[in-house]
Amino acid sequence: MVNGFIILFGLTMLYLAATSRIIAHIRLLIAQGVLLFLICCGGYGHIDLLNFGFLAIETLIFKGVVIPWFLYRVLKKTHSNRDVAANIPHFYSLVISSIILLVSILASNYYISSMKLISPMFFGVSAATIVISLWLITIKHKIISNVIEFITMENGIFLLSLSVAKEMPVLVNMGVLLDVFIAVYILGLFVNEINKEFNDLEVSHLSDLKDYENND
Amino acid sequence: MISTILIFPIIACLLALLIKNKAFDTFLVTLYAVVHFVTTMMLALGYGNKTIPYFAVDNTNLIFLIVLSLVFLMVAIYNAGYVKNFEFPDKKISHYSFMILIFVLSMTGTLLSTDLGVAWVLVEATTLSSAYLIYFNRTKHSIEAAWKYVFICSIGIALAFVGIILLNISTGSVNSLNFVELYANANHFNHIWLKAAFIFMLFGFGAKMGLAPIHFWLPDAHSEAPSPISALLSAALLNSAFLVIVRVFKIMELANCSEYARIMLFVMGFLSLFVTAVFVYHIKNYKRMLAYSSIENMGILAIGTALGGAAFYAVVLHLIGHSLAKASFFLTSGNILELFGTKRIKSVNGLIEADGKTGWLWVASFLGICAFPTSVLFVSEFLIVKEMILQKHYLFMALFVILLTIVLFGIGRVVIKMAFGKVSEDKVKVIEDSRHKVCVWMYIPQFIMLIIVFVLGIYVPPLLNNIIHLSAAGF
Repeated sequence: MVNGFIILFGLTMLYLAATSRIIAHIRLLIAQGVLLFLICCGGYGHIDLLNFGFLAIETLIFKGVVIPWFLYRVLKKTHSNRDVAANIPHFYSLVISSIILLVSILASNYYISSMKLISPMFFGVSAATIVISLWLITIKHKIISNVIEFITMENGIFLLSLSVAKEMPVLVNMGVLLDVFIAVYILGLFVNEINKEFNDLEVSHLSDLKDYENND
Repeated sequence: MISTILIFPIIACLLALLIKNKAFDTFLVTLYAVVHFVTTMMLALGYGNKTIPYFAVDNTNLIFLIVLSLVFLMVAIYNAGYVKNFEFPDKKISHYSFMILIFVLSMTGTLLSTDLGVAWVLVEATTLSSAYLIYFNRTKHSIEAAWKYVFICSIGIALAFVGIILLNISTGSVNSLNFVELYANANHFNHIWLKAAFIFMLFGFGAKMGLAPIHFWLPDAHSEAPSPISALLSAALLNSAFLVIVRVFKIMELANCSEYARIMLFVMGFLSLFVTAVFVYHIKNYKRMLAYSSIENMGILAIGTALGGAAFYAVVLHLIGHSLAKASFFLTSGNILELFGTKRIKSVNGLIEADGKTGWLWVASFLGICAFPTSVLFVSEFLIVKEMILQKHYLFMALFVILLTIVLFGIGRVVIKMAFGKVSEDKVKVIEDSRHKVCVWMYIPQFIMLIIVFVLGIYVPPLLNNIIHLSAAGF
C-alpha cells in the first residue's frame, strides 16, 4: 500500500518534467502533499501520536494547502502561465527523468536491500526526486518554476526523512518546517519583489552581477 | 551566562519592533554588542554557567565565540556612525537593526549549539535574516544578489539535511544528534553511510562557508550588502559554517574515516585558492575583490584542517587573523564607498590624498590580509606550509605558495592603484561633498582590529594561547 503511494509520488515527478503549465505544477504540489500524508498514515504503526500529528499537519496543511495557495496567488498576480522557454524539449526531459527514476530505484534495490534500517523504495524514489528537481531547476527559465522545483526537492527530502521517522527526533521535523517557512516567506517574498522590480519573472534578468562588468 | 547572550537579543528585537526610532534601534544593536562582548569575556575567564539545554561553551567553540563577539562589537561601533548617513525612514532602519540582532543571535546559536539538528536550524536562520540585510538597499543588483544567496544557500542547506538523515542512518541504534553522543559512538557507525553523509554535509555547509565550487553567491552578496553587513558575513558567518564542518570532521576522525574527509577538504580548499587566483584578475569592483579574498582564506582553513596535526593550531590562528583583518578591510571599503560613491576600481584613485586615514587603513588592511609580517596570518600560513613540508607534500606546498602569491599580486595591484596617485578631477567635488559622512567612529574599529592582527603575530597572550591550543585539540 505504502509502496504504491511512493511509486505514485515518483510518477508525479515525471508529470512535472513533462508539463509546461505552471498551474498544473501547483496542482501537482497539492497531490504530493496528500501523497506524503498517505505515506505517513501507512507508516503509523511505527510512529508515536505526537510525531504523527506533527507530520500530518506539515504534509496536509502546509504542503497540501498553504504553499500551493500562496504560489497560486503569486501566479495570478504575475500572469506567468507557462514556462515555455525550457532549454530542453519536454519529451527529452520526460525521458531523462524516467531514466533517473529507474536507475535510482534499481540501484537502491540492489545496494540497500540488504539493510534492514531503510526501505529501498523510500530511498530510491526520494533520491530520484531530489536529483530530478535539481536538474529541472537548472533548465527552467521562470523564477516561480524554480521555487516549485525547490519545493519538490524539499518533498523528496521529507520522504527520505519519513523513512527514518522512527529514529528522528521531533527537532528535525521542526527543521523541515523551517524549510517550508523559507519556501513560503523568503522565496515568495522575493518572487513578488523581483516581479515588481523587473515586471517579469525571467531568471535571465538576474544575471547582471559579473566579475568583469562594472557594478556600482 | 549563555542565556544572557541568547535571550537579550530577543527582548531587544521586541523593543525594536515597538519603538521605531533610528537612534534607539541603533543603540540596541550597540548595547547587544557590548553585552555579547562582556558575557563572552566572562565565559572565557571561566565565570558563569557554561551549559544550558542544547547550547554550551566548550573548548572548541570558545575561540569562535570570542572572534564573533569582537568582530560584532567593532561592527556595531562602525554601524553607529554608518547609520547616520542612511536616508531611509525610521521604520526601515528599525527593520535593519532588528535583522542584525536576529542575524547575530542565530550565528551565536550556531556556534554554541551542542546538537547537529539545532545547528542546522540556526544556520538556516542566518540565511533568512541576512538575506533581508543583503537586499537592504533595494536596487536591482541587491535583489539579484539576495536571490542568488537565498536560493543557493537554501539548496545547500537542504542537501546538508540529507546529510543529517544519512548520518542518522549510519548511526544505527544511536537516536540522537548530540555531538557528545555522536563522538562517543562514532567508532560503531556504518562507514558507507557516514561517508555519504559527509559529502552532503560538506557541500551543504560548505556552500554557506563559501568553499569552491559552491561559492557563487558569495561575491555577489558580499559586494551588494551594506559594508557593516559585508564585514559580519565575511568575518563571522563563514566561521559559523566552518565550525559545523569541523564538528562533522571530528565525527569522521573518531569513526576512522578521516582520510576520506581530509581528501575532500583538501580538494575543495585548493579549488577555492585556484578559483580566487583565476578570478581576482578580472574584477572591476573592489568589494567583490574582498569577497574573493574570503573564498581564498576559507580555502586555506579547509587545507589546514585537512592537514591536521600542528596545522589545527595554524587554522585557529588563521581564523582569528582573517576575521579581524577582513572585517577591517570591508569596513574601510565602506568608507571608500561613502567618499567616492562608487565601487568601481577604475574610478578610485589617490585614496591617501583624498582621505589619509581611510587610505592608510586600506593599505594596512591589505598588509594584514596578505600575511605581511608581523600579521598573525604570516604565522598561520607559515605553519601550514611547514606542516606540508613535514608531511612531505612538496608539490602541494609549491602549488599553495604559488596560488597565494598570484592572489597577493592580484589584490596588491588593485590596492596600490587605489591608494596612491592623484584624485581624478571629476571626483574632487564628490569627495568634498561627502567627506562629512565619514565620522570618527568609522575609523576606530578598523584601527583596533589591525593592531590586534599585527600584535598577535609577535605576541600571543598566555590565556589566549591556551584557548587556541584547547580549541585546536578539539578539531
